[in-house]
Amino acid sequence: MVNLDKLLASTADINGLLARYGVKFGIYKNGEFKEQLFPYDPIPRIIGKEEFAYLERGLKQRVKALNLFLKDIYNEKKIIADGVVPADFVYAASGYLAPCEGIIPPKEVYSHVSGIDLVLGKDGVWYILEDNLRVPSGASYPTIVRGLERLCSPRTFHETPIEDNRNYPQLLNAVMDYVNTGGINVVLTPGRYNAAYFEHSYLAEQMSVPLVTCNDLEVEGDYLYFTGYAGRKERVGAVYRRISDEYMDPLTFNPESLIGIPHIFDVYRKGNVALLNTPGNGIADDKGIYYFVPKMIEYYLGEEAILHNAPTYLPFYKEDREYVLANFDSLVIKDVAEAGGYGVVFGNKLTAEEKERFISMIVNEPRRFIAQEVIDFCDIPILDKDGQVERKADLRAFVLSSEEPVVWKSGLTRFSRNPDSFIVNSSQGGGFKDTWVLSQ
Amino acid sequence: MGIKSVMNTDRLYWLGRYSERVYTTLKLFSRSFDYLIEQYGDDHKAFCESLEIPDIYRDKDDFIDRYAFSLEDPNSIISNLYRAYDNAIELREEIGSETLSFIQIAIYEMSAAKRSEAPLLHFQKITDAILAFWGCVDDQIDDENTRNIIKIGKRIERLDLYARLKKEPRAIRREVKRLAGRIGRSDLIYSQDDLQKIIDLANAPELDYWEIIRLVEQFVEC
Repeated sequence: MVNLDKLLASTADINGLLARYGVKFGIYKNGEFKEQLFPYDPIPRIIGKEEFAYLERGLKQRVKALNLFLKDIYNEKKIIADGVVPADFVYAASGYLAPCEGIIPPKEVYSHVSGIDLVLGKDGVWYILEDNLRVPSGASYPTIVRGLERLCSPRTFHETPIEDNRNYPQLLNAVMDYVNTGGINVVLTPGRYNAAYFEHSYLAEQMSVPLVTCNDLEVEGDYLYFTGYAGRKERVGAVYRRISDEYMDPLTFNPESLIGIPHIFDVYRKGNVALLNTPGNGIADDKGIYYFVPKMIEYYLGEEAILHNAPTYLPFYKEDREYVLANFDSLVIKDVAEAGGYGVVFGNKLTAEEKERFISMIVNEPRRFIAQEVIDFCDIPILDKDGQVERKADLRAFVLSSEEPVVWKSGLTRFSRNPDSFIVNSSQGGGFKDTWVLSQ
Repeated sequence: MGIKSVMNTDRLYWLGRYSERVYTTLKLFSRSFDYLIEQYGDDHKAFCESLEIPDIYRDKDDFIDRYAFSLEDPNSIISNLYRAYDNAIELREEIGSETLSFIQIAIYEMSAAKRSEAPLLHFQKITDAILAFWGCVDDQIDDENTRNIIKIGKRIERLDLYARLKKEPRAIRREVKRLAGRIGRSDLIYSQDDLQKIIDLANAPELDYWEIIRLVEQFVEC
């Protein structure tokens, strides 16, 4: 039994330090950018050693399969030819990027940083909610807060055997070094007015690599360069980019992007720079493709999936569509094109008119939606102004892939502050907790 | 950390300038605030004249409120503090979270000062935070070029302010000497001719303050 009394008594001190170090996220409200402190809850999510070992095995397996899927989809497409994943689900997905066809990234790593969202059901089973293989964020918060917790409550950590999670920047650096094609590593940010700017700048600081914007990078010949003051230049071998695929290169993707680097994709295509994560990964974390991940694991690895998907239905298939329409009120419906907690609708929360309209959309655009059983997942305790209360929470586990995937021994636990809500995203008012993995 | 981007070079330089501007004007303002406690009338005018800023204030209360706390007034202390913060927040990987935290603390103290009936107490804490910030620059930033760019910004701002305040020649000469000793220790591009002119002007029997200000404002490419 872990004694949290001393840690909880230090809550005000920890919050004071989080404010001091500017642990914030940005949010746009009514068109105006605001920085807010990310609400922190001191009661950690605690995962036992054996339980984490189980998660670790499942997460490694899943990420390996997703990497193989990405290589296959942009090259041989065997999984389509063998009828495991329908072509419709690949080519109609917004995350599929035709310019990525035929490209093998450095060392064949596609998803260098994978953020896998899980919840623990009341049945004691961990369920995967979604995979985030594009630009998953959030690792910086438990990394920085751990140091502050240890500062404020050293005895707690003396008495409790907890895996140190402050190695995340080193793990990320190792991945960058592994895929680096020659030159320096950089972190590419869209800039200060990005919601996750704190994380970009904090990770760059902790990794001791330059934090750059598009203005600092340029392509010359077949290479990418960091251009500095007084005309100095240095070749870049790996870019941990925190901007979306479509904004990376205006000459390949969105021509209106002002935050991308012209021709960077050409340099990548020639194998002269590593981009983390690889462009085009969105096809593998598409909400529709999620349904097929257990099948991918079986197909590529010849193994049964260790971690479970939430029971999911694809209205695309007639049988599933009939089930969804018949059980609409008990399901949660997700628009596959949305993210960040948006486009999620609980069937039983709609008015009759809204329900009718939604059903008509499902019938007319079945590929656009997935439906899932509402998992009765465990609430976890948080400290509210009235004391300890129970709230919904998920866990984002981070898997860093180089020669072999490594699961970071921590994770971002996000919780809803609203007692009636399942939505834990920070953009919608959620908070975060540290995630402790016990070492004994 | 190797080469530095154009933007970060500029930010480091201006972080040095704005942190110094807040530090020096806060000291001046605190003295005026103390003096104005018992005064009625237009004594704030002298303050504005000494700093060459427009006197846009209705009376002393308006001056105290807006010069210290108005974000709409570009000359206010809070505006300059936010400019320091705006530069610092984009330099975390260059200066480190610890160094940055002192600018953040100064921001929080400024908000507290605005709400307080005794703002001088909080101004003292802002001064402490800026001094700690400079200490951190020396102690925690490994890269010499990074340290020197911030310090050059600080030296230039101080010289500029001292010239505007028409400080005695001894103070001007001291600041010129400090600047001249520092400027060659970074990779900032500057005019050696202009630097020599500044040194000559500072050592002249009669100081041409305006010419010093003009040269100080232009001799570094940033």
